[in-house]
Amino acid sequence: MRVIVFSWEYPPRVVGKLANYVRELSLRLAKDGGVETFLITYHDYWTGEFEEEGVKVCRVTNPVKTHISVLTWVLTLNQEVERAAANIYYKSGKLIDLIDVQDWHFIPAAVTLKKAFGIPFVYSVESLEDHRSHGANAPFNMAIKSIEWLGTYEASVVLVKSDWMASEVIRAYKVPEAKVKVVNPETKHWFEDILKVYKGVMGEFR
Amino acid sequence: MVGQLRVMMLTWEFPPRIIGGISPHVYYLSKNLAKNGVNVYVVTCDFPGAPDHEVVDGVEVFRIDSYKNPSPDFASWVYLMNMNMQKEAASIVKNLGGVDIFHAHDWLVANAGIGLKHVFRRPLLATIHSTEIGRRNGLHSDYERMIHETEAWLTYEAWRVICCSNYMVSHVKWAFSLPEDKLVMVPNGVDVKEYEKSTVDLNQFRRRFALPEEKIVLFVGRLVYEKGIQVLINAVPKILEKVNAKFVVVGNGYMKEPLWEHVKRMGLTHKVLFTGFVDDETLRNLQKCADVSVVPSLFEPFGIVALEAMAAKSPVVVSDTGGLSEIVEHDVTGVKIYPDNPDSLAWGVTRVLLDECYANRLRENAYHMVVEKFNWEKISQQTKGVYERVLSEYSRTFWA
Repeated sequence: MRVIVFSWEYPPRVVGKLANYVRELSLRLAKDGGVETFLITYHDYWTGEFEEEGVKVCRVTNPVKTHISVLTWVLTLNQEVERAAANIYYKSGKLIDLIDVQDWHFIPAAVTLKKAFGIPFVYSVESLEDHRSHGANAPFNMAIKSIEWLGTYEASVVLVKSDWMASEVIRAYKVPEAKVKVVNPETKHWFEDILKVYKGVMGEFR
Repeated sequence: MVGQLRVMMLTWEFPPRIIGGISPHVYYLSKNLAKNGVNVYVVTCDFPGAPDHEVVDGVEVFRIDSYKNPSPDFASWVYLMNMNMQKEAASIVKNLGGVDIFHAHDWLVANAGIGLKHVFRRPLLATIHSTEIGRRNGLHSDYERMIHETEAWLTYEAWRVICCSNYMVSHVKWAFSLPEDKLVMVPNGVDVKEYEKSTVDLNQFRRRFALPEEKIVLFVGRLVYEKGIQVLINAVPKILEKVNAKFVVVGNGYMKEPLWEHVKRMGLTHKVLFTGFVDDETLRNLQKCADVSVVPSLFEPFGIVALEAMAAKSPVVVSDTGGLSEIVEHDVTGVKIYPDNPDSLAWGVTRVLLDECYANRLRENAYHMVVEKFNWEKISQQTKGVYERVLSEYSRTFWA
């Protein structure tokens, strides 16, 4: 099994608690899951390919340095994520089983790769724009929400960390209940449960 | 490469969606490439009433959802639209079983073009029609710098960069520090046949705009500073001292109101007519009626409006700047004047209006030059040549 994880934060770049969670997930995938694990993330200047603790990490930077918002920043960074993912795809004999996209930032890349190569993806939700911006619906917030919606629409599974978040995703984006899976990372079998979700998506997509 | 060359054109505008010069450019280029045996797939923004998928003059057109939520600003909309364009184009390419080349027009489709290049590992070509640093005469905010850097990113990722004039080649080379051999000049074109279509009686038509004894001086363009319309307005009294004329100004822009106020203060409202936007046929007929067409631009990447006037057999007076300097040969195909100089402009216009023999010579020479040098048939062949050169270079890389 070959998986690429997309995350805008990964150690040493730690913005919130997502970075260490994604590291933990990637290490377990590589060590205990028998998964060839690729991780694509952002770093300002520390770019390139690294083998770290059994995980194949690729860090890309933004080709456009000057930006007016995190929205435009994200939207020009996605092409670099696509470039890195395409390099993995072509180098590995065009066999990628699944992409796990953490939060909204790299959803555009995941969707394009799905359309181009037929690679399914899981959208893992850490937080939603509706909560981060306290319900604000200025065009800026709506744009981020539209990207989150696209993620829920195109993903094979929307993976959330609590029952509350499951109900929020269903409320905010009208996601069919059967598409939402809850895996609480605090539980004992969280990793096995995620692996089960991955295998379910692979089986369904074939 | 098996069989016919397959090109995917990415453009934010294609008829019936017309905002600026890119729309007609891509239309005529694609149509003539198709005639030359190239399979052209245009991916563009949707437009009310236009179908999502159709074949236009041998060109397969796909119109994508152009992101219609309110956007924070124009540039953010462009990036969001690109997100949609790229995912739709990825599906289209997959269904087609691949394409040979992606051809992107301006930064407005940079993200989509660059993403598709890497995902499908096919070469990307970029045509740069205009630049942010040229339009704004410098970079004055993060917003403008962001657009400038996006343009730079597109030229960096492109295999070759096409510009429509030698002036733009050197401007783009300077603006983005590009190596000389990355740039190619392929001119813009004009279809003279479009000017032969109308069956309207021109004498009758002319009366809608001018008295029979008045010569028509025509300006066509956006009413913005860089187009130099204020220079023409300042020259109006100087020209009227020598010859009876009507000044017809076609187009809209933020300078319309102040210019009209200025004309009123000069007491010349009966001599200057602001028409606003007009439809294509009216515009072409006006160009055919014009005794002289004036292009007084201060910044002009190409100057397609001068070519259109020439195709309509109207003598042209242009400022000696940018792409206009290359199109017009002084005293042969038109009159060149000093940019931003109303006296020089008045001299050029009166010279044409007072000497009919001279005017007719300019008309004939210019028309022949347009047919010879700026026809789409020839331009599409040059463009196809660029595609073939790029593909042959590409075939020797590890992507092939």
